[in-house]
Amino acid sequence: MDKILLLWEGSGLYNLSLPQFIMIAICLSLLYLAIVKKFEPLLLLPIGFGGLLANIPEAGLALSAFEQSLAVFEPALMQSYADKLGLVLDGASKVANQEILLPAIKSLEDPVIMQELKTMAAVAGYTDGMLNTFYQVTIASGAAPLIIFMGVGAMTDFGPLLANPRTLFLGAAAQFGIFATVLGAVGLSSLGIVDFNINQAAAIGIIGGADGPTAIYVASILAPELLGAIAVAAYSYMALVPLIQPPIMRALTTKAERAIVMSQLRPVTKREKIIFPIAVLVLVALFLPSAAPLLGMFCLGNLMRESGVVDRLSDTAQNALINITTIFLGLAVGSKLVAHLFLTVETLGILALGIVAFGIGTATGVLMAKLMNKMSKMPINPLIGSAGVSAVPMAARVSNKVGLEANPQNFLLMHAMGPNVAGVIGSAVAAGVMIMYLS
Amino acid sequence: MHTTNLMTEGFNLMLMGMGFVFTFLTLLVIATTLMSKIILHFSKPEPVAKPAKPTASTLTQDKNTELIAAISAAIHLHRQQK
Repeated sequence: MDKILLLWEGSGLYNLSLPQFIMIAICLSLLYLAIVKKFEPLLLLPIGFGGLLANIPEAGLALSAFEQSLAVFEPALMQSYADKLGLVLDGASKVANQEILLPAIKSLEDPVIMQELKTMAAVAGYTDGMLNTFYQVTIASGAAPLIIFMGVGAMTDFGPLLANPRTLFLGAAAQFGIFATVLGAVGLSSLGIVDFNINQAAAIGIIGGADGPTAIYVASILAPELLGAIAVAAYSYMALVPLIQPPIMRALTTKAERAIVMSQLRPVTKREKIIFPIAVLVLVALFLPSAAPLLGMFCLGNLMRESGVVDRLSDTAQNALINITTIFLGLAVGSKLVAHLFLTVETLGILALGIVAFGIGTATGVLMAKLMNKMSKMPINPLIGSAGVSAVPMAARVSNKVGLEANPQNFLLMHAMGPNVAGVIGSAVAAGVMIMYLS
Repeated sequence: MHTTNLMTEGFNLMLMGMGFVFTFLTLLVIATTLMSKIILHFSKPEPVAKPAKPTASTLTQDKNTELIAAISAAIHLHRQQK
């Protein structure tokens, strides 16, 4: 009978807490969005599944060895932790001891003692959970977003941008959404609705960059505790670009403006395409070294593509490698979908601010394109401005579609690809500025 | 006190961030334009010798429909791979 009781107490059902149950429901709805609604399925599917794994009671897949030892709360080991911290565990009950030990560990700031406690956990035989290991390898190290960025670079054709370099301004204007959202986030904290510090505000703002790897990279550096919510918001809103953008684009333009036909792009030579990534990298090296990891990998990928001499590498970077990385990145993000990090008011704030960031970025991009149309001799259709938020190539397709509604003969796709890839560079630069300014 | 500091910091970050993004991309526009001019200047005969691959812009409007369909399909595939 005792054995059966032990088995029951070790079961998932016995240990399932309400927050875990809610998180499992949320992760199932992410899987639903990915599979049925086709919302960025390549990422939301592994993220949702990673979230499910992370919330399995007692398995502790998302916990590090040390966190695991605290969750188990084995008396002998806890006694040695307490000795190390100079605390006395009175031994009355497990709960009483937890109340003594856990706050002390939470407020512990000395990294040396922390390291010793972690070593003690390792010696006692605790190991990092699987998802925790994936997180350390892919996100905490910064590796996975950068590898994905290299793959994106290998997929990107800078031809339309090189044919009309001024579209880079549209990519810059659309980044206003990022910084306006930072201001919105600190504004909300000032009003006392939620509590974000400046680093967290910056990490939330980067959702407006509409670029998944950049958002994850910045969040992992500035606010790892918000990473789950930020990644989920970034990828779900990217999937919603065709719904979010058109109303804003139509509201800010007249039908005549939407029908503007742009002049044909000139053909771009191979040499220009080869030298461009190198030129970008030189500028990054000169002016913004903190953006070097992101833009460096991006330029490497692009150079592999355009040089034409390493087709095998280029092919790997944009197919096999990016796919492998995506699987582990998704699972690692999923490991952050645990109740104590996700079921907070902050998550609602992040979801709300994220969509505002997208909206403002779209609006400033369109307004900038209107301004450029007034100032330059070459006609510029304001609709291509919205593509400056990045979200390649979805945002460019949206520009094209809205343009076709106004003038069925007007194909804006190639024109919109220029600001679209400019947006990728723009959000990486914005990320670099934030990292430089805040860390 | 604390909240005003946070707001100021947010505002500074916005000014600096937007300023920097615009400065950087302006430099990039200048650099790209210069680079293209130099390359096109020095490789004048080359485009004749090996003409660039036809892009959307070099084709006539009526062929565009077909091309756009192809591009859209390609992008759709690319999107799925992302």
